Amino acid sequence: MDPLVTTQFLNIAFGIATLAVLALGLAIVFGLLGVLNIAHGELVMAGAYAAWIVQSAGLPYALAVPLAMLACGLLGWLIEAGLIRPLYARPFDTLLATWGLSLLLRKTAEAIWGLGYKSVALPLPGTVDVLGAAYPRYRLMLIVLCLAGVAALAAWFAKSGAGTRIKAMVANPDLAQAVGIRTGRLARNAFVAGCALAGLGGVMVAPLTPVHPFMGIDYILESFFVLVVGGLGSVAGLVAGAGIIGGLGSLVSAVADRTAGYTAVLVIAILFLWLRPRGLLARA
Amino acid sequence: MQKRSVTRRGFVAGGAAILAAPVVLRHARAADPFKIGLFYAASGPAALFGPTQKASAELAVEQINKNGGILGRQVQLLLADAGGPPAESTKTAVRLMVQEKCDLFVGSHDSATREALVGTIKARVPYIYTPIYEGGECAPNTYVLADTPEQQVRPSIDLLTKEKKVKNVYLIGNDYVWPRKTNDRVKQYLTAGGGKVIGEEYVPLGAPNKFEEAVTRIKGAKPDAVVITLVGADNVNFNRTFAGFGLDKEMLRASMLLEENTLLGIGAENSKQLYNCMSYFSSVPGAAHDAFKAAYKAKFGEKAPQLSIIGVDCFAGVYCAKALVEKAKGTKAADLMAASEGLTFSTATGPVTMKNRHPDKPMYLAECEGTNFKIIKTFDNVGSGEACKQA
Repeated sequence: MDPLVTTQFLNIAFGIATLAVLALGLAIVFGLLGVLNIAHGELVMAGAYAAWIVQSAGLPYALAVPLAMLACGLLGWLIEAGLIRPLYARPFDTLLATWGLSLLLRKTAEAIWGLGYKSVALPLPGTVDVLGAAYPRYRLMLIVLCLAGVAALAAWFAKSGAGTRIKAMVANPDLAQAVGIRTGRLARNAFVAGCALAGLGGVMVAPLTPVHPFMGIDYILESFFVLVVGGLGSVAGLVAGAGIIGGLGSLVSAVADRTAGYTAVLVIAILFLWLRPRGLLARA
Repeated sequence: MQKRSVTRRGFVAGGAAILAAPVVLRHARAADPFKIGLFYAASGPAALFGPTQKASAELAVEQINKNGGILGRQVQLLLADAGGPPAESTKTAVRLMVQEKCDLFVGSHDSATREALVGTIKARVPYIYTPIYEGGECAPNTYVLADTPEQQVRPSIDLLTKEKKVKNVYLIGNDYVWPRKTNDRVKQYLTAGGGKVIGEEYVPLGAPNKFEEAVTRIKGAKPDAVVITLVGADNVNFNRTFAGFGLDKEMLRASMLLEENTLLGIGAENSKQLYNCMSYFSSVPGAAHDAFKAAYKAKFGEKAPQLSIIGVDCFAGVYCAKALVEKAKGTKAADLMAASEGLTFSTATGPVTMKNRHPDKPMYLAECEGTNFKIIKTFDNVGSGEACKQA
């Protein structure tokens, strides 16, 4: 195959894999708890700043992963206790509350680090030969890790006791509570996990883009489209959504240009909201 | 006799007082501040530049006031946010003109806002536009200090075609008026220099853009150089992706708006073979610039906002206001426009002279060295290429 075509296929894989992980936290929180966390992008931003702090301190980049997940998890714990828990059954109110939170987080980052772009150096520079195409090492590593991570999560969700309890809680919270599942704690853990995953996403994208207080806005919209197309509450839906949104965006951008790619994503998202509002693979 | 004389003296004094009344009134007005409305990016996508714009204007105002102000009036800066949609800026302009009786506007913002402001101000108040733009602004009582395509593009393209022997060029930019008009000029000079454009693409402004696909396309097209008219975060993103794919070692890059903040975002490891031509870099040599930088640091301290072309332009804007109004001895549009021809005023890097309401200025061609701009060539008194007629 022409090395350029190979590269564009890898670009598509990269678009899908990274988008799946970026949308994962949002999918967990929205799909399982019915909370649309508008501040998801700002947690990605917080994770990216954590990566920058780790690198500026001269520490190994891998250390940013636990640190960002811990920091964002802690933030998530505070948000859940202070903001989300009183609003669980009020989806529109959580939307407004998390929107306010996103403004607060952005302005806080601006107050601490300023509006300037921070540069995070690639932890894995250089390119590697894939079927004759020189592809950036770090992007290749992300494709592999993201796909492996999502597959592992799917297996865990399907097989583990915790996965079953989550499904029980989502299907019928009252009954789940009646059979002894501590739904309050389970919901909190799911929210914290969603936030920690946003932080992981931030560490992932930090070396690729400029790190600045407003970067989160770039991620929330596409992540939301993934959920619109894929549907809520299943890993398969997430993968399908990321595949369609990320894949279509990258494919059209590769064949035509970025404007066409962006238009295609918007058209698909609108068509889904109109004709299939529950998405491709919504939970029954 | 004594008495009569006193009376006569009193009469003379009274008459003198009446005759002098306009002078006295004028003196009363002289005590009023000279109000300059500064349109800058307090919010929005360009807010990164806001602190430098404000600080640079404040420094100029402070210096001018220490030296007697403008026509003896102390200068007062009225801050106006131009970071929102143009319609918001025009509302602010009306308020500043009607309520505040603003004497003059200085603006550092995008072209959409400039066009809206020109349409609202309607030459009633002089308006000085300062950053970088696509050329063609000849509205009456409007004075443009911004770098024009003629000033930026010719030195960049000459470097590529003459010194670097570049033949094939790929163009990438954001999809709005400045990149497209600048690229028209790029094509013109490239053809004249024996080169050609082998690819051209634009990405939406303000969308969450990724550049893997475009970089792969560029890799396939194999140009000798890429001319970049992307701005802000897109410029950072593109250059990081470009270097990530290893193309930084294979071809040259010339950016048309690459200032200190953007280069910090691009990062030292991604800026190999990256060139840029503008009228300001914080590394420009010279006594005038050293004095400016010392005064800037003395006023704002170690944590002063990053010096960059978008920001420092406001310093020149305020000094241009002083020179223009003092030469015209007032703010009458016809006088100002006549005074602008051949007007010399200070900028952060030294004096420049205005022709056709655009200054000729020194331009600096820089090569990126890590996150610094190394000036490799200086072009003195580069004309704007704009031919605004005198009114």
